[in-house]
Amino acid sequence: MRISAALVLLLTVPALHAGFLSSNASESQVKCVYSGTDGHCVEPILKSENELVITVVGQGVAPSVTASPAQAYALAKRAAIADGYRQIAEKVRGVHVEGQDSIKNMMLTQSSTRTSVEALVRGANVNNTTFKEGLCEVEMEIALSYSRVLQ
Amino acid sequence: MRSRNGNCPFILTSLAVTCTLSLAADHYYIGYRLTSKNTQPIEETLTLSKAMRPCSTQPLSNISLQRLENETLEALLERERTRFLQFAASQEFRVKSNETLTPIHIETLHTLTLPTKCYAVEFNDRSVTITLLE
Repeated sequence: MRISAALVLLLTVPALHAGFLSSNASESQVKCVYSGTDGHCVEPILKSENELVITVVGQGVAPSVTASPAQAYALAKRAAIADGYRQIAEKVRGVHVEGQDSIKNMMLTQSSTRTSVEALVRGANVNNTTFKEGLCEVEMEIALSYSRVLQ
Repeated sequence: MRSRNGNCPFILTSLAVTCTLSLAADHYYIGYRLTSKNTQPIEETLTLSKAMRPCSTQPLSNISLQRLENETLEALLERERTRFLQFAASQEFRVKSNETLTPIHIETLHTLTLPTKCYAVEFNDRSVTITLLE
């Protein structure tokens, strides 16, 4: 009897210990996607259980020479939509930044910064459009969820 | 599970849609590109080409546009470009953006591209139905 109880205890304790460790490991896998530059854990912004809605306001200006006010409005709106798509891509995908400084005789002679972004955006919607004094603003939104990302 | 009326009407409807898209409709490849510099559009092109061979017949979504008498697809898309783009934008857009900043100069260049895809276009007397195919 004592031997069997000791055997059960011996088998149970490592199993519980392993289960405890594995649950901790899975939790840490869910919460931490990658380590930041300072070594700290970075949590995912998009969680599996909820939807993330990103809203941006794109701006566009009509060309100085247009055939009619209607054409000016249409062109300004297209430019605003392009700006909105760019902002969505920047928020979701990130921006590639490249800077260049030229120093001559210990003095800064030239400085330039280039940013670029490239992405395929699917499912963005235009919610609201305003056109005032030649400036068109479009409010756009995109809903991100695991099901959409994995499509 | 079989409904009380049977599944035949659904199958027949699907067959009818597929046959209509493959036989009655013309297939076109349509693409679009907009380039804007410093938030002003500088170039806009809508490319249209009739498909040399039929595309797949799996419809994704469609739009009906009003057609004037004997109006070609080119003229119709030129007139209804905004509505067509709203319909096409619900699928996907490719965006490419470059910005250059110097102490005395800022320049932005955005390019918005609608990837060229196959559409089934069905011409009627007063309307045109454009269906995006998979």
